[in-house]
Amino acid sequence: MNEKTGLAPPKSPPVRLTRETVGAGFKKRVNELSGENLDACYQCGNCSSGCPLAQEMDILPNRIMRLAQLGLKNELIYSQTLWICASCFQCTVRCPKGIDIQGVMDTLRQIALEEGVDHFGPDQIDPGQASTVPQPGLVGVYRKLST
Amino acid sequence: MAKVAYYPGCALKDRSSHLDRSARDATLKLGFELDELPTWTCCGAVPPVSEERVMNLVAPSRILKDVRDSGRDVLVTICDFCYNTLKRTNYSIRNNEITRRRVNAFLADDEPERDYIEKKEEQWVDYTGDVRVVHLMEYLRDEVGYDAINRNLTRPLEGLKIAPYYGCVMLRPQNEIQLDDPENPAIIEDFVSALGADPVSYPYRTECCGSYLSVSSPDASTRLCYRILTSAQKHGADAMVISCPLCFYNLDSRQKAIAESYPDFKQIPVFYFTQLLSLALGVEEGRQGFDRHFVDVAPVLDMIREKTGKGGRE
Repeated sequence: MNEKTGLAPPKSPPVRLTRETVGAGFKKRVNELSGENLDACYQCGNCSSGCPLAQEMDILPNRIMRLAQLGLKNELIYSQTLWICASCFQCTVRCPKGIDIQGVMDTLRQIALEEGVDHFGPDQIDPGQASTVPQPGLVGVYRKLST
Repeated sequence: MAKVAYYPGCALKDRSSHLDRSARDATLKLGFELDELPTWTCCGAVPPVSEERVMNLVAPSRILKDVRDSGRDVLVTICDFCYNTLKRTNYSIRNNEITRRRVNAFLADDEPERDYIEKKEEQWVDYTGDVRVVHLMEYLRDEVGYDAINRNLTRPLEGLKIAPYYGCVMLRPQNEIQLDDPENPAIIEDFVSALGADPVSYPYRTECCGSYLSVSSPDASTRLCYRILTSAQKHGADAMVISCPLCFYNLDSRQKAIAESYPDFKQIPVFYFTQLLSLALGVEEGRQGFDRHFVDVAPVLDMIREKTGKGGRE
């Protein structure tokens, strides 16, 4: 059991903005794949405050949105947040700008998987659990978290 | 007896077969039959996010097209994952012309390969999203009516305090699902009241139980489920009611792991809504599959027996 007492998640590491990373077309690709306009996000933080899993994340959902606006691909695809998000749509429902944040998260997962960042394979499952978890859990976890 | 097209999905055929059986028992008591589709496949459990991934829409679209080809326009399903996937697929076929054309191109291509179904000598007609995907709870509310259910009860669950748990994909994303208000829903509360029981109001009813994280990050799911269950208990719940097989797994089986992590935790029985419905309609306890629950449901059954006596409502 993870000993976590405070509410604040670990601070995101400092990032370096350069013309190359910001202009590399990553943001455009996320916009296209998700069908959302990342620039609509004005950092109100409603997504992070409603997220039931925010305490488990290394980068909060609103920070994910900000990093995506800046096109910081590496910070995003190596973030643990992508693999902690349970796609429950709480953020999407509460976004005052109507952004499907869960869809953006799914898009980032898809890009991470394309880049070979696999998170969870069939060999990692506990055998006792594999024989008892209902199938939607198994199908869902492999479709979301592995290639 | 009226029949309605029914898609059970994989979990209801295997690890949640007690959900399937109690639903069939209850609906027969209410005067209609869940007519399982003659052929169906997995719906994919989660809908694809981006327009690039049209392949993932093919399986659910094929299921929906088969319903239309059989001349019906309503498809009932129970598992929240299937409901979400089928309904969202239908939504994108109905509202996005490019998706509709691409999915239909795949379906038409694949049709001659399906030698296991009876084919009609008809022209190919594109599937355009005409089938209405309906959750069984929604069907009970809108078609059967909660009043009608209440009139048919033989064992009303009077005095029982039940905490409705919605979870995530039954209500969200709301612009595509439109079952109820995503933040302040009432469909399960009203259902619980229709059974004669008292719905418990508590803050975590629409909070996620961890869903598939139960497989990849079980500790995170344990923490979420602990919060949900203890919140319901603090508000006086005797039992939880849910509709999703994965929520059931997380909230019921996971109570073992919760008890190991949190010594103060006390168990609380979890029921599928169809189990409570069929119990209240007089289906015997032996048919409910209670042996497959991790948490003993006997205390709640005792309460029901105590309130209703042996014969129930005369």
